[in-house]
Amino acid sequence: MMRGSALLLVAIATLSLGLVPILAPPFYANLLVPFYGYAIALLGFNLLFGYAGLLSFGHALFLGIGAYAAAVIAGIWGIKEFEVVLVGAALAGLAAALPLGWLAVRYTGIFFGMLTLAFGMLAHSILFKFYHLTGGDSGMRIPRMRLFGLEFAAYNKIELLAGPFYYYCLTLSVLAAFLMWRIVRSPFGLHLRSLRDNAQKAEYLGVRVRQFRLAAFTISGIYGAIGGAILGFRTGLADPELVYWTHSGHLVFMTVLGGFSNFLGPVVGALAMTLLQDQLQSLTQYWRFVLGAILALVVIFLPRGLAGLASDVGLRLGRRWAPSAAGARDTA
Amino acid sequence: MSAATSAFGNILIGGIFHAAVLFLVAAGLQLVFGVQKIVNLACGSFYALGAYFAITFVNFALSAGLPSWTLLALLLIAGLLMAAVGPPIERLLRTVYDRDESFQLLLTFALVLMFQDVFRFVWGANPRSLDNVHLIYGKWAVGDFSVPVYNLMVIGAALIAAFLIGLFLRRTNFGRMLRATAENRAMAEALGVNVRAIYAAVFTLGTLLGTIGGALVVPTAAASLDMAVEFVIEAFAVVVIGGLGSMPGALAGALLVGLIRAGSLVVYPEFEILAIYLIVIGVLLLKPSGLFGKPAA
Amino acid sequence: MSSQPTGNASSTAREPRKPPHWPADGVTTSLIETRGVSKSYGAVRALEDVSISVREGEFVSIVGPNGAGKTTLVNLLTGLLVPTQGEVYFKGRNIAGVGPVALATRGMARTFQLVEIFPQLTVAETIAAAVVTRQGKRWRLLSVLLEDAEIATRVAEVASIFGLSSRLATVSHLLSQGEKKLLDVASAFALEPQLILLDEPTSGVSTSEKHTLMKTLVDATRTASVEAIILVEHDMDLVASYSHRIVALSEGRVLADLPPDQFFADPLITNVVVGRRGGS
Repeated sequence: MMRGSALLLVAIATLSLGLVPILAPPFYANLLVPFYGYAIALLGFNLLFGYAGLLSFGHALFLGIGAYAAAVIAGIWGIKEFEVVLVGAALAGLAAALPLGWLAVRYTGIFFGMLTLAFGMLAHSILFKFYHLTGGDSGMRIPRMRLFGLEFAAYNKIELLAGPFYYYCLTLSVLAAFLMWRIVRSPFGLHLRSLRDNAQKAEYLGVRVRQFRLAAFTISGIYGAIGGAILGFRTGLADPELVYWTHSGHLVFMTVLGGFSNFLGPVVGALAMTLLQDQLQSLTQYWRFVLGAILALVVIFLPRGLAGLASDVGLRLGRRWAPSAAGARDTA
Repeated sequence: MSAATSAFGNILIGGIFHAAVLFLVAAGLQLVFGVQKIVNLACGSFYALGAYFAITFVNFALSAGLPSWTLLALLLIAGLLMAAVGPPIERLLRTVYDRDESFQLLLTFALVLMFQDVFRFVWGANPRSLDNVHLIYGKWAVGDFSVPVYNLMVIGAALIAAFLIGLFLRRTNFGRMLRATAENRAMAEALGVNVRAIYAAVFTLGTLLGTIGGALVVPTAAASLDMAVEFVIEAFAVVVIGGLGSMPGALAGALLVGLIRAGSLVVYPEFEILAIYLIVIGVLLLKPSGLFGKPAA
Repeated sequence: MSSQPTGNASSTAREPRKPPHWPADGVTTSLIETRGVSKSYGAVRALEDVSISVREGEFVSIVGPNGAGKTTLVNLLTGLLVPTQGEVYFKGRNIAGVGPVALATRGMARTFQLVEIFPQLTVAETIAAAVVTRQGKRWRLLSVLLEDAEIATRVAEVASIFGLSSRLATVSHLLSQGEKKLLDVASAFALEPQLILLDEPTSGVSTSEKHTLMKTLVDATRTASVEAIILVEHDMDLVASYSHRIVALSEGRVLADLPPDQFFADPLITNVVVGRRGGS
């Protein structure tokens, strides 16, 4: 399991998040709902990036798949159970990830990035152009759905999001994180990291490089789709801009902001970005500039991201308080 | 000449015009990637910068009394002026040269974000254009078919640029040093090449090609906020199809993409951009090194 | 090195099968062999009609000047390449182009001339990667690695054989060059291969340390389930000290395939191999 201190921090953070709807105005809980969507999507993204070493510039494709799956299942087919939508989104993510991944993992580095970028933009243009099917740039409506069969009719949309749905997402995120934690700590996860570090040597140790990359891609696609379904629930709309390449860029941004070499780094990044973007947008209409500047600063000065910074600070504090404790390396 | 042929002619010229502009920006991308191994996502931003500034510059110059026929010169100057953003940005990128390529990519993405708001701040959220000033050069007509002379001038300019770039890379000492650095940076350094100066020069040249491309396009198209992020994709398509780092590839790729866009407008308008992505994916899957690139992926 | 297989508990071990076209009288116990193998790259003929075999219990060295075809032969032996002519058999099965992953599970391991490590993985994790393959646990997505006692025990064993026990928690890129080499070999051994191919293991190692390194390697094989070793080397002292047989390649052909005493007794051979050996 995680080191005691890290586990304690996570517990405190989760508890704090759980207190938000109770202690803060509904605005904040509502603000944090997409954070959960991104957190789950990024946990998947980082399996591919941080652990398998593949930078995808088209991951937002899966967010779109999740949202459109929700639109189809709940909107067109009228099945308004969110659990069904989640399963449907996961299956759709799986169905898309397998062929796309199979094609993409034959490459690494810049070619992998370009291929995934192309896949994402291809999806964008399909969603945009075939408006008879997909609603074009108006997108598809995602109606309000039931959680565990409950309608919560007494709540309006905001109250639903800031209340029951918030806790639903929090729980889902914790479960998703726990699952991903086990995957990353498994023998499979070890083989993944070995192929990231040295694919040639890994093969000689019996690591099935291509198959495992595909597996990582698929898992990340499923997580992405689930994240997309959450985003869709909140906005009530599935639209093509979800899969535009700059949205994929934002996913990478969040991951690097939080720190990709740290398990919860991307989650931290998603939280930081959600709060940051909200604050900036209320301060200036030129918030993109500030975000861009922050990204530049993080890339140049803080390559291990916020989580890396926190862990360095924590280690230094720990050493001051218990100088004899061996400075254990940050577990990647 | 029948109406159909003249329509075809229009589309053909339109496609080649688009290809000409694409080539300029793609050539800039190829140079930067070939020598510095950086994928510059901000190339579209340079393009947009050239476009926006050109509009301002030309409007200013014309209202100051300069005659309309100086348009082409004005546009070229505008592009040249904006290339001044090249050196400071290169200086910024220098901080991550020795890092993983993902960091370099992200830094250029940060630039994209920042530029978006610079455009919004300086030029506002609405598209800007030059109201057909380029028609001062008149149209060249053959029967029913006519094309603005300006478009032909731009195509000519692109061809001249291609020729000059080729000459520069092959015949000049600087060009040779550039190619040497592209092949093998460590070796070039060991042979006394000032790699730092080369990197600065290459990046600025790449920026220049981008801003000039943007400047040349504004008489016929509007400058808008979407320009920067949309153009990146097309430029990348060109570079992938032609082969990363290859100049002839930039030319071939630009021509292909330009003509496909033009062609699909006739055949199946919905298909336009889709066709390009499919070809990009196809090239990446079948021959990742592109038409002219070296086989080592 | 034991001539008997040491308790081959591998579930992936196969009995050598007789391929249909072998001569009726040719019952063989060769672990790996090439039969009339040639390899061309376009017009360039890298290997010409090479037939060698290595039996259980043997230590065979492959020597020759640079460009003689050693690398090509090694790549053929490790299933990376498909011969233009001829066949390569490992434990009775044709392994042409099979690839390193399959061979790792079938009992062959290889080390590299330029040391190959996983920079961000610890020593323990590197060895564990091989153990995971060996114990067939690759696809275990949900069990936590650290809690697996079977893997941990085996990792500790292998590390102690190679003297890396004190460095188990160290991240690989922080190791010294010598330790990295040991790790490279240790991880190969952790696969419990029947055949191990050492590709210039002492290159870049100082002369005084070469023998120590080789001794560690060979001693380790005595405690492991390794049945045969193929060594590719330039250092003829090492080759002479350890080999049962020496195979000399020259310009793509087998020049000699002899025990050391006969090998070094022939001036023609030693001239080609030692005399023309340029740039070790």
